[in-house]
Amino acid sequence: MNLTAETKVLIQGIDQPIGRHYAQRMKAYGTLVVAGVSVGHGDTTIDDIPCFNLVEEAIAQVGEIGMSLIFANPYHVLDAALEAIDSGIRQLAIAAAGIPPLDLMQLFDKAKTTNTLILGPGSAGAIVPGKIWIGTCEPQFYTPGNVAMISRSDRLADEVALSLTQGNIGQSIAVHLGTGAMIGSSFRDWLGFLAEDDATEAIVLIEQNAQGSYEAAQELENLNLKKPIVAYVVGHTVPIAKAESDAASAIASQLTCTIPHTNTAKQKIAAFKKAKIAIADYPQDLPTLVNNALKKKTPRRRTPPRRRRSTN
Amino acid sequence: MDLLEYQAKVLFREVGIPVLPSQQIDDPRDLKQLQLPYPIVLKSQVHAGGRGRAGGIRFVENTIDAIAAARTIFNLPIMDEYPQVLLAEARYDTEKECFLAIVFDYLLGCPVLLGSSQGGIQVESVLEQMQKIVLEEAFSPFHARKLTVAMGLQGKAIKSVSEIIVRMYRLFATKDLNSIEINPLGINTAGDVMALDGKITIDDRALGRQWEVLGLLDRLNKVEQNGDTESSHPDVISLPVAYPLEVYNAQGNIGILSNSMGLGMLTWDLLHKEGGKPACCWIMSSESDGILLDEEDLADSLAYALSQVQAVEGVDRILINCLSSAEISTAVAKAIADLIKPQGDTTALADSEDRAERPTALAWRSQRFPRKRTKANKSSRSASNRTETKFIVRLIGVDGEAISTISHSTLYCTEDLTQAIQQTLSFK
Repeated sequence: MNLTAETKVLIQGIDQPIGRHYAQRMKAYGTLVVAGVSVGHGDTTIDDIPCFNLVEEAIAQVGEIGMSLIFANPYHVLDAALEAIDSGIRQLAIAAAGIPPLDLMQLFDKAKTTNTLILGPGSAGAIVPGKIWIGTCEPQFYTPGNVAMISRSDRLADEVALSLTQGNIGQSIAVHLGTGAMIGSSFRDWLGFLAEDDATEAIVLIEQNAQGSYEAAQELENLNLKKPIVAYVVGHTVPIAKAESDAASAIASQLTCTIPHTNTAKQKIAAFKKAKIAIADYPQDLPTLVNNALKKKTPRRRTPPRRRRSTN
Repeated sequence: MDLLEYQAKVLFREVGIPVLPSQQIDDPRDLKQLQLPYPIVLKSQVHAGGRGRAGGIRFVENTIDAIAAARTIFNLPIMDEYPQVLLAEARYDTEKECFLAIVFDYLLGCPVLLGSSQGGIQVESVLEQMQKIVLEEAFSPFHARKLTVAMGLQGKAIKSVSEIIVRMYRLFATKDLNSIEINPLGINTAGDVMALDGKITIDDRALGRQWEVLGLLDRLNKVEQNGDTESSHPDVISLPVAYPLEVYNAQGNIGILSNSMGLGMLTWDLLHKEGGKPACCWIMSSESDGILLDEEDLADSLAYALSQVQAVEGVDRILINCLSSAEISTAVAKAIADLIKPQGDTTALADSEDRAERPTALAWRSQRFPRKRTKANKSSRSASNRTETKFIVRLIGVDGEAISTISHSTLYCTEDLTQAIQQTLSFK
């Protein structure tokens, strides 16, 4: 993970209405939106952002790209992502949702072999408040601070950021893993990054009822994270019916996970409780829980700064 | 989208998976022009399993019996579904029946080959013999051979069954399938194979690029559509502008409309916490789905979603909770003000009926919700329904003046979610 105010950002699909809208706003926020790719618009500019027909042409012109934000139509996402990876970009955020699973399988295989970090599909991007904003989350709800957010939900993460901000808790970073049935980088990947992130002192995990086939709590096993975690699972009172599977017959579905969304909020909450993670029932409860977690942590925090001084 | 047996078999035939000679029967009278020699089997074309036990499969020896049996099957609902089509098929004597499937496994993130040397409807015995090959790498025919050997097949069957799996995979990969299943696959004494029944599910997200398959299904459905246009699959597939959360609470009176699924669920949780009774929840596609609507489309989408929520039985108030940029929130506020106007003592959704009724897979699915009115009396919507619905809107960043101008006796606006929840519960 490498996201700083200096990270150069490419937008694939900048000619799409959504690409153009966010390119402009991200640039105004201070994000270095250095180029856009849009087939047929090479040698033009969109809102003063130079456009290219190919990713490699963009890189030749503006230099190394830290992250590409992909706004392609779902059926073109695979191709756009492969082009970015082929051109050497190693961090991608995919905004589009609804990408056929076989495309994703191919993309994730490629990402694995090239060590590419993917947010999404269905990701609202990432934000380091005050420094860099990439994606479709709404930056006005975020403020700089020391609490990281990892979300497996959608716009809800903005609501959570608003609750934290209103409770005087700023955010060190917020990442949106995506809403797809299959996603690129996972809770575990990001918890690993955040463990090393000096700006992050506590982490808020956001999960959603019937989203994803397994829960974040499972990924917390054996992680041995020193920073406190507070989880919030939305939809614990929403009676989502068990997905019907006349699709794959009863026989096939007994042996495979044929339904993308299987885990209910109740299962996720139970898993977090088992992992002894504090759980907020509503976003409004988060500030108190995060403050409590940070307070508890203070005595243990004495050692790391001292160690850092000695290594210097 | 789940294909029926006769549709699946058309695709089987396309890739050379052997199927029996058969004929599509849209009406019992079609049997007078039957091209197949008797005896035949008549099979109800419904999605539910267990057709045989429910009486949806009948063996017949002559035309008179066949017509009588067809009438019976057409009038027999299986899991509430009446067949629109029957399949008349030749009979086949098998020596052995197997189970074969390729399924996309979401937990593993890749397809899985499944095979059992015991096919048929006895689930437990099929499962007992089940073998599984996980396709962590790209599929190659040797994966199919490994499966057949694991299944305990021998001699000629190894080759013929592997070949079927290779062809199934070809369909799986080129048609964006979630699953493809042959059960049973008949193997006769000569070692020849025959797909006796089949199930195919196309991934809904891929429907927009599987227009060849959809075209094929349309042609098959021609007769059916003349008779009944409602029951067919959606004929236009585009990104849904709004879709329902698959929940319905019959005791509820509050409809929820949000621009995000997570936010919709939070709204449900908060209403529930305060003792409210949400009935249903609709989600408008938005930027977080990678869709940016222009003002006009946004208004259409909102009108469509609101009309859907308002039509749900029991809903007397609708909480609209949208979190977005000030610019988009302002557009939403404007659209709401246009849509929900006080008209004397009635509040109505201004001519929202015919706007944005885009048939999508998801919109079509929504018809599962019990509705206040049927299509027949659509025009004669009772005035009492109009007066009852109250609207509560939560939007952030819209300038205060705009908010105050749109609020009126049946419409309340606020930036604060807690207030919106309170008002929803206390609105008289």
